[in-house]
Amino acid sequence: MSQQGGQDPAVAIDMAKQEMEYRVALFNAMVTSCYEKCIDKRYKDGELSVGENSCIDRCSSKYWQVTGIVGQMLGAQGGMQ
Amino acid sequence: MDPASAMQGLPQDQQAQLMQAIEQMQVRDSLRMYNSLVERCFRDCVESFRRKDLDSTEEKCVQSCCTKFMKHSARVGIRFGELSSEAETQMQQVMAAQGGGK
Repeated sequence: MSQQGGQDPAVAIDMAKQEMEYRVALFNAMVTSCYEKCIDKRYKDGELSVGENSCIDRCSSKYWQVTGIVGQMLGAQGGMQ
Repeated sequence: MDPASAMQGLPQDQQAQLMQAIEQMQVRDSLRMYNSLVERCFRDCVESFRRKDLDSTEEKCVQSCCTKFMKHSARVGIRFGELSSEAETQMQQVMAAQGGGK
């Protein structure tokens, strides 16, 4: 987020809080989605396999890209604050 | 999560306020994570109700489930951080390019 000089401090705090909440929500959603997509639920042991590790990396990257596209599409519709 | 970028440019007292808000969010988030992990491992590991106690298979399953989820979450955290800073860098480059184009 860009910093603007002379901004009302209450607004700045609110914006920072909102940004943090958004990032936390995004992170949690990414963890949940990639867990569903990548992890073998048989739980033979507590280790992640090589395949699961690669899947997690790629899933995170793709999820991030989807976030970007959706952001663009919503922005184009003229709606995001 | 990286609060550092959110805090840049804020004066001292506001930083303290924000740190407190962040701590509260972290506590809330830990509790939420705890509950959702219990629900997830219960759902994935416990199938039968012929007895009232977990058998050793179910116990091992829950332990593996927890370990796996936490390792998974840590790995996603690392990638999230990388993707975040990449995006931050790209944004700064775009803004610098726009700023310099007078």
